[in-house]
Amino acid sequence: MNTAPAPSRSELKTDQLFVNLGPQHPSTHGVLRVGLTIEGEIIVKAEPDIGYLHRGIEKLCETRSYGQCIVLSDRLDYCSAMTNNLAFCLAAEKLLGVHAPQRADALRVAMCELQRIASHLILLGTYGIDIGAFTPFLYAFREREMVMDLFEMVSGARLTYNYIRIGGVRADVDAQWVARTREFLEYFKPRLDEYDTLLSYNPIFIDRTRGVGVISAEKAADYGLSGPNLRASGPAYDARRAEPHCGYEKYPFDVITAESGDCWDRYHCRVREMRQSVRILEAVLDGLPGGEILAKVPKIVKPAPGESYAHVEGARGDLGVYLVSDGGPNPFRAHVRAPSFLNLSILQEIFLGQRMADAIAILGSLDIVLGEVDR
Amino acid sequence: MTNERVTAQILAQFPQLEKDPSPVKDYPTLRLPDAASLLPVISHLKDSLGFSYLDMVTAVDWKGPVDPAGYVREERAHPFQAKPAAAAAAKPLPGAPYRDAFTLVYALSRFANPLKIFLKLDVPREQPRAASLARIFRTADWQEREVFDLFGIFFDGHPDLRRILTLESLQGHPLRKDYAHAEDRFDR
Amino acid sequence: MGVALEKFPAICGVLPGGSGILTTADAFINWSRKSSVWPVTFGLACCAIEMMAAYASRFDFDRLGVIPRPSPRQADLMLIAGTVSKKMADPIVQIYRQMPEPRFVISMGSCANCGGPFHDSYAVLKGVDKIIPVDVYLAGCPPRPEALYYAVLKLQEKIQQMKIGHGAGAAPQQERGSRDLGAP
Repeated sequence: MNTAPAPSRSELKTDQLFVNLGPQHPSTHGVLRVGLTIEGEIIVKAEPDIGYLHRGIEKLCETRSYGQCIVLSDRLDYCSAMTNNLAFCLAAEKLLGVHAPQRADALRVAMCELQRIASHLILLGTYGIDIGAFTPFLYAFREREMVMDLFEMVSGARLTYNYIRIGGVRADVDAQWVARTREFLEYFKPRLDEYDTLLSYNPIFIDRTRGVGVISAEKAADYGLSGPNLRASGPAYDARRAEPHCGYEKYPFDVITAESGDCWDRYHCRVREMRQSVRILEAVLDGLPGGEILAKVPKIVKPAPGESYAHVEGARGDLGVYLVSDGGPNPFRAHVRAPSFLNLSILQEIFLGQRMADAIAILGSLDIVLGEVDR
Repeated sequence: MTNERVTAQILAQFPQLEKDPSPVKDYPTLRLPDAASLLPVISHLKDSLGFSYLDMVTAVDWKGPVDPAGYVREERAHPFQAKPAAAAAAKPLPGAPYRDAFTLVYALSRFANPLKIFLKLDVPREQPRAASLARIFRTADWQEREVFDLFGIFFDGHPDLRRILTLESLQGHPLRKDYAHAEDRFDR
Repeated sequence: MGVALEKFPAICGVLPGGSGILTTADAFINWSRKSSVWPVTFGLACCAIEMMAAYASRFDFDRLGVIPRPSPRQADLMLIAGTVSKKMADPIVQIYRQMPEPRFVISMGSCANCGGPFHDSYAVLKGVDKIIPVDVYLAGCPPRPEALYYAVLKLQEKIQQMKIGHGAGAAPQQERGSRDLGAP
């Protein structure tokens, strides 16, 4: 009988193994490929390989008119198309020197907050699936469909709206839309508590996510993280507070932060953000100003030569659009500062030393959209 | 104005910098005279002035209007197909500062007293090179790889400079204005 | 079952009135095939979100027997939901070849049909039918979940007309139009 003591982990000799995650994988949320080198259960090297959805949008913008570029911006972050429209329109408005009327600003805020709810609901559902719980997906998409109905009422589309235009919004809302939005908010508030009991405080879910994939505040800023991923680590940086656009300074909301920066915090920041979105929406609907919805903008947008940058707080983080005009009808250069691209870049570091089984939990908590990563 | 105070502070420290003649609207924009001053200025901004967050690294090609050859066009004429927009816009416009250079654009922000500042650096189109910021900001790693991929600007001291978005087999750098698309096995 | 089906036409051929047996067998096999079209869980871009919506509560794809499978080895259907970039083209062909026959493809959305809004981009494949055969084209940018329903119903109609006398399934006939991309 062998009586020698069991070898400790450092004495165990294991071969390194290369595991290919993606590009077709149910939990990569799109077409991301990660090359993982594992030793036993521990990841020793992670190489994200992106570009499987690279569509050359920045190049295409150079031959499209400003109005047509809004259509392309819809397809960047397809889970929150409204905020993409808004970022592009704000940058174009800065070039032109026009300002949206008050009612349009209020509608933009309402749409962006509804979009934030819809986008965070996608995370809620798919993150549950990543962890192994299918049921939250059905609940989250039930509520998301209601937001989609509201968007359909104003824009006619479910996913790619092209609703926010340069100088305002495309269509006005009617009393019926306001009433249905209020109805939805009343219905939605108790649902948020339901998600907490269903998923957030589920012991198995907490075991899978607490203390996993911790990102320190310094590292988060160093890697350029933004949005809930950054705020879960501590810094209370929110573009809506730091540099308010569309009159965000008028509405009451808290910038949600957390301390530890692990997967659970990143997830729960989003759930709590939805509550703040509901608060903002209620304030917007209570004080919806009347008047025009579109400022006077020439039919053919031809800004004078110049450069502009506008950034908004999208559902995934700080979404910026940098536009350069040479005086022509098309942008001379359009660059999108995509939050998902930068959020993903930290993957190569936080995967190290984690268990293979936690890789999906970490990847899901970063909430990336590949359309925006690859552009 | 915090904007102007910070700009004055930086200009006092680095007199060789100048305010950019075509600034990014609503933001302080400074122009770097040469590639050598990039690293000292960025380090100073990070260590002394609290700009601990690199927002964006990107580039602009100032060669002139975009070349329609960079786009894939169907060969057969389609009755409903509009004329290629690029061909219509292919003549240079008056007033635009076309020149034979790339402009690298850096945006930095700070969290306390939120402020964003833009820095610009011109690099020549022949053998474009600049110093890499990857040692100061880790986020510069991927952003510079993207600029390298799409513009072909080399970053000295970058840990892993290779294509990130496009196919390894792609010829040329697509966001250059004179990029001409070579037909590959997928276009046939 | 596949082996039996391949031999089945020969047996039917020697029997008097074999075609009658064949028709009945066709109807039964096609009915069972069309009622359990299992797609591989595979989304590319914007359309994938609408595909997810179709699987979820309101639209509930399970009613048509459409249940997503995480592995191509267990799937009958590939939904090309989104823009096919050139970098993704080779993996798509690989996934397609991993699927067992008979296999079907629905090209969902304008991007997969012809390149859509990105038709002149240097990085986008102008239609997924350049690399794999497509059964149903579905227009829209993105198509609504109801439209995806219609596409699956159309595919079921197509499956209902399949004949085992023409080979082991639909695939050999479909793949005549496919194009080999050669080594990457």
